[in-house]
Amino acid sequence: MKLTRRNFLKLVGALGASTFISTYKFELQEVFAQAGDYWHICWLNGAECAGCTISFAQAVEPDLISILTEITVGTSGLPIALPDYAEVIHPASGSLAEELKEEVWKKAAMKILVVEGAVQNEGYCTVGVDENGNPKDFRDHVLDAAKVADAIVAVGQCATFGGIPSGSPNPTGAMGVREFLKKQGINKTVINLPCCPAHPDHIVITLAAVMIGAIPELDKYGRPKVFFGKNMHDELCPYRPYYDRGIFKTTPGGEGCRFKMGCKGPVTWTDCALRKWNNHVSFCNETNICLGCAEPGWPDKFSPFYKEVTELPKLLGMSAKSLGEGLVVASAGITAVHLAKRALTKGKKEKEE
Amino acid sequence: MAKVIVDPITRIEGHLGVTLETKDITTKTGTWTLVDKAYCHTNLFRGFEIILKGRDPRDAYFITPRICGVCHAVHGEASMQALDYAYGVTPPPAAVLIRNIMFAAFYCYDHMIHTYLLVGPELGILAKYPPMVPPVLGKEGIASIGLGSSYAACVEMQRIANEVVALWGGKAPFPVCEYPGGVTVKPTLDRIAGTLTRMNQVWHFATKTMYKDLMALKEQNAHIGEVVSTLLDINFRGLQDLGPAYKYKLSYGLFPDHENYDDWVKAQDGEPSRRKSAVIHAGAWDGDFKDFELGKIKEYVKYSKYDDSCTGLHPKNGKTIPKKDKPGAYAWAKAPRYDDKPYEVGPFARMVNTFGLNWTFEVTNPITGDSLKFEWQVLNPEGSVIDRVAARVAQTILFSTKAMEWAVELKQYLNDKIVDDRTNNFTYVPDNAEGFGLVEAPRGALLHYTNIKNKKIANYQCVVPSTWNLGPRDDMGQPGPVEKALENTWLPKLSVPEVANALYEGWGDTLASALVKLNPLFAKLNMEGEYNTTLPLAIVRSFDPCIACGVHIIMKKR
Repeated sequence: MKLTRRNFLKLVGALGASTFISTYKFELQEVFAQAGDYWHICWLNGAECAGCTISFAQAVEPDLISILTEITVGTSGLPIALPDYAEVIHPASGSLAEELKEEVWKKAAMKILVVEGAVQNEGYCTVGVDENGNPKDFRDHVLDAAKVADAIVAVGQCATFGGIPSGSPNPTGAMGVREFLKKQGINKTVINLPCCPAHPDHIVITLAAVMIGAIPELDKYGRPKVFFGKNMHDELCPYRPYYDRGIFKTTPGGEGCRFKMGCKGPVTWTDCALRKWNNHVSFCNETNICLGCAEPGWPDKFSPFYKEVTELPKLLGMSAKSLGEGLVVASAGITAVHLAKRALTKGKKEKEE
Repeated sequence: MAKVIVDPITRIEGHLGVTLETKDITTKTGTWTLVDKAYCHTNLFRGFEIILKGRDPRDAYFITPRICGVCHAVHGEASMQALDYAYGVTPPPAAVLIRNIMFAAFYCYDHMIHTYLLVGPELGILAKYPPMVPPVLGKEGIASIGLGSSYAACVEMQRIANEVVALWGGKAPFPVCEYPGGVTVKPTLDRIAGTLTRMNQVWHFATKTMYKDLMALKEQNAHIGEVVSTLLDINFRGLQDLGPAYKYKLSYGLFPDHENYDDWVKAQDGEPSRRKSAVIHAGAWDGDFKDFELGKIKEYVKYSKYDDSCTGLHPKNGKTIPKKDKPGAYAWAKAPRYDDKPYEVGPFARMVNTFGLNWTFEVTNPITGDSLKFEWQVLNPEGSVIDRVAARVAQTILFSTKAMEWAVELKQYLNDKIVDDRTNNFTYVPDNAEGFGLVEAPRGALLHYTNIKNKKIANYQCVVPSTWNLGPRDDMGQPGPVEKALENTWLPKLSVPEVANALYEGWGDTLASALVKLNPLFAKLNMEGEYNTTLPLAIVRSFDPCIACGVHIIMKKR
């Protein structure tokens, strides 16, 4: 099937990262042969833990090495994308690192900005020094780069929605990149890839899509619908049959649906249960509970983590509505949640089709 | 004197800069610039302890791993051991084995990624050892000068090790399977089989590739020493004279014995202990084995951006009043000291506290029956770049073997309980309790302290490896271990290719042509003005800094 922006979502859903890349290797190569240059990536780290970089390094089929070696730009031998700047893995340090960002990345024809980590109030995160030798705030790094970037991808819960650093009382004023840029008056699309950490498949596929000019369709939180369009509990979780039969895990060593242990699957929209993690070996529910890390408002709206979702709103003194679409009628009880979710999902599906 | 600033230091976790004050020495062969004094400044603050306050005590297990995505699993483990202690529960043998298997796999990932992706490239250049030089040019780079074969293999192997973490923990980074008094994941034959298959691959990588690479570095070492000694007319033996810190090395111990958990807990009680039943022992090495005592830890803030009233306190009583513009303060990190002395933590400290200065052990792969005798005579008792790398290689070999042994052992516990009876009711939370979690992160000794009041976190504190190593000077004026290790390091006024050419004729030219093909700017790799900072960078990285961990502020009273 010829790849178009229209059918991109369906194809990705059907193929997954590995087959997607290998199937469209020639399309990808074509794009790069015409351009004669690779896509330049600037991967900035703010209020973060490097977990998303490490997660990216867990990519399989293709893994990082094959991404860098198997598809090349024309006859140059150069890979299709390279980071000019990436603190955690880049060969260059210090002034050269900053120079590569300023002189190479900013002047490149095709450039993607990837942000890992939240943006905080001034003074909490500095990287390198400015032209006067003063520490340069991460906020300025993001602003400068966002202004010139051809595409902006926020990876992980912190860069998308503020993540743990934005947890109450949010001591440093942490927020996601989208919100930060909006406040600074920059209206650019930010592709949000939440989860803590971001899933390597999500990153690889999104970057590949951006490179061939197929920006995935986003939901109202800026997340690609192809990854975050399905409710985990309703549509994907393998433990769902237990729920339907009323069998619940209520001890750490027990078996059953994780709902009563506090699983956040019913209010979480992500494909974790389908795609799984680390070469598809497992996901959180297989060994404990879903924490809800794909959602805005995490962690506060989902903590205490060992609380049933139906009990959370009143515990946190929040209205059920603010907890997300899934909990609109939470107070009516488990069945109501379930039914409401089904209704919501159904409506969603119909709209898509 | 010149001032050389390297910021950001890449290929570490987090935001770190160092300021190097230089001095010149004149020898028969010329005048050379060395580091006189070094200052580490840590550049990120997120406020984890503040965020934890008032939450369900068990939430700490999910929130604290996000302090660091590189050493993700151990913050969870430290918080869980603090919870175990506070709850007064003991993980049953099956749970200890599962935790151990998961952490052993995690350690292998971490030590491999550090050895090859973070500290390795400079060592590959210094030792003219292409397998460790990263393939910056993609396929052509690998093909043309054979760069990066070990580097590329490591990318695959660390992934396989992380798959084992995910098998037990759900995903990596950030596994989720621990619970006070045990785990929430059952031992099953398929998980055990999956562990054995993968750890067997890791074991072969560790015993073949990593071991071989370490020996290759060692082989070139004398040559590096000779060339530098001749050139500078000084006595420089090689990589063992790069980055010595103090003679003091601290370890909390690692991998408790599933049949003797009581021995493990003694250290948390505050009793002098070496946790000798564990695979890696606790201890406060000062040239000889010494017991570790929890009460001897204090944190100092004279040069940290906190009010002076916060200084000299045990973490349990610690307080933190930020003072952003305090005169003379240059770091967000505090300066933790043990018995008022600056102790280095990390792989090297673990090895000396367990094996002394002669690391000899034999491992046998329980799957294939292959065996390896590992031998390493410590080259510099104060620690050095090459000794730290050797310690990581030794531990990857040791822990990958142990992971398989534990997986085999776990077969006997398939139907056993995986959580203490008291916490099998998962709604139970103690009203008031406190506890210390003391474990080793890959980067070194990690302490978590939780204080529960009315079933909520009243106070939470972490003293992490990178504050031990990268913390600033203390009230007594003693530089932190990394600051100390950087002193007297040579800052050549030569580019990386020029240094490489000096070491091996033509090697620099080969490197230069590879580097500048990607971008001419790479000719300036590691140069800050006229100074080449390759050696300081290698030293800083040899400690495997993790700045996200190091700066997380501790605040008792707001």
